[in-house]
Amino acid sequence: MSLTIIPSTSTTHPRTTPTPPKTAPSAPGLHDTLRSGLPSLSSTINTSHPLEARLKHWTETQEAAKMESLRRLYGLAEPVRRGMEMRIVREGEGLGALGGVRVGGAGSSVHEDILRGRDQGCTWEEVFKGDELADVDFHTEMEARLKMNW
Amino acid sequence: MPGFDFSNHARNAALHAQGFPLPKATSTGTTIVGCIFDGGVVIAADTRATSGPIVADKNCEKLHYISPQIWCAGAGTAADTEFTTALISSQLELHALSTGRNPRVVTCMTMLKQHLFQHQGHIGAYLVVAGVDPTGVGLFTVHAHGSTDKLPYVTMGSGSLAAMSVFETQWKSNIDREGAIKLAADAIQAGIFNDLGSGSNVDVCVITKEKTTLMRNYIRPNERERKQRSYVFKRGTTAVLREKVVERVDIGKYVTVHEVPLEAEGEKMEVDA
Repeated sequence: MSLTIIPSTSTTHPRTTPTPPKTAPSAPGLHDTLRSGLPSLSSTINTSHPLEARLKHWTETQEAAKMESLRRLYGLAEPVRRGMEMRIVREGEGLGALGGVRVGGAGSSVHEDILRGRDQGCTWEEVFKGDELADVDFHTEMEARLKMNW
Repeated sequence: MPGFDFSNHARNAALHAQGFPLPKATSTGTTIVGCIFDGGVVIAADTRATSGPIVADKNCEKLHYISPQIWCAGAGTAADTEFTTALISSQLELHALSTGRNPRVVTCMTMLKQHLFQHQGHIGAYLVVAGVDPTGVGLFTVHAHGSTDKLPYVTMGSGSLAAMSVFETQWKSNIDREGAIKLAADAIQAGIFNDLGSGSNVDVCVITKEKTTLMRNYIRPNERERKQRSYVFKRGTTAVLREKVVERVDIGKYVTVHEVPLEAEGEKMEVDA
């Protein structure tokens, strides 16, 4: 456990699972050669912009540093308590169209924002979601929740 | 994925590996300055926007609103300065509403530097943040990589050296409002005349505890002269080679024709007299 507040560079960052390349928006299911280049496993694993990993892991790195400093100050109970609160809140808001409070679009909830201290801000992720086309309907959500979409 | 889109990176890296040259970096040009005086702060900017060697806009606005008492002068990539200041402006407004206090200049500066540091200089915004808050007068510079400075007088942009030479020779402590405005305007004019990336007019913004005064085009040293002769060609100068008259009823078969009123005097296209 360390107190670093910025993510380490992508070369030393452990990669668990390579994300599959995105499909073409005009032809879903087809590989998008124009955007992702020729399909090859090595390119999806090895090629990434240095800024990409940094932005992706920014919040979680700062969160981890905060929890580590809380652990050193107050003992293990404090980060554990906060983690439990966060989990309770996440399980409550995951209902989506079936109920529950969801302000600010998918992937954000008021409760989680309050616990993280982000409830008074507005970042561009909340305005420009970039997934306006990917409309998730009720049935898709139910399938995903009940693990029916194999 | 909101924010930055990295989906072309793999393609670009593959092209570069095959010997395709990288795109050239565009150099940007601006002169922006700031100066503290007794009871307030003044920031000033030139109004030239360049796109490489071409002047894209002769009278653009480089002084950005953050909050009523905090303003920002921006150099670097125009879209980045515009968007970053707008983003921080809205965040600061939400923060002010949440805390119920006037926003502080240091808060604005910290938000800017954290945002810019997070993006490692890929957001090309070089800013001069100035404002007055309950804790006093604040004047900062923020570089694109997230470093900041706190000084009584600051300059930024490609004309910063010319502008700084004016400050270094003429600045005094305990300068008054009029003196600070003149000094800032002189510094911008040094940038306008000695730096190729800066030009056109001087914009000035004066912020005091009581109010903010934005003086757009405070000095216009580069008014366009009237041409000595008229270069408008007489009607009929160009010979008519072929003439075909299309009747209105014929066009009406394919498209709908509307009568458009003659354009107003002010909307006429600008042509050389």
